[in-house]
Amino acid sequence: MTVARPHDVGGEEGFGAIVREPDEPPFHHEWEARVFALNRLMLQRGVYNLDEFRYAIERMDPAAYRAASYYEKWFFAIERLLGEKGVLP
Amino acid sequence: MSIGADGANVGEGRFVVGQRVRTRAPRPSGHTRLPRYLAERHGVIERVHGLFPLADARAEGRTTEPPHLLCSVVFESRELWGEASAGFRVSADLWDVYLEEVP
Repeated sequence: MTVARPHDVGGEEGFGAIVREPDEPPFHHEWEARVFALNRLMLQRGVYNLDEFRYAIERMDPAAYRAASYYEKWFFAIERLLGEKGVLP
Repeated sequence: MSIGADGANVGEGRFVVGQRVRTRAPRPSGHTRLPRYLAERHGVIERVHGLFPLADARAEGRTTEPPHLLCSVVFESRELWGEASAGFRVSADLWDVYLEEVP
């Protein structure tokens, strides 16, 4: 029995066309930039490493993973890791 | 040459450029950098990068695990997606624990 890996969809079809956004800004909302900065800081401080961060995203519930935006996934992973590491109660 | 936590051989020289290899089945659980579409497929060692910390172990906080040999492996598109796929190649950086020798 292999666990579901919702991110591991390379080569699969049926996700629709990739929509390209002309002149796409780095962030679409201010909170996304804060999430980006928070993650950089946690990695630099060694609170967790990049592979732990990636694995935290992969451990999301598959339906929640598919529904979440890129930085929503980041925020979910940061929150989960800070809980697991005892930084947050 | 030493033996890693998962029983695989660790060390430089286990894989060489031009060698045919087969990728193993995906780990049943946990983090891996072997995508499903590259699992249980034949490829050729294209480049040997040297020893690097294994992401599978680091993802679980096992930072004391010895580094593993990282190789670039090239696959034919037909091997991955069947005869109908156009003739192109896919290269991926894969650790030795994902690979086995082909006799």
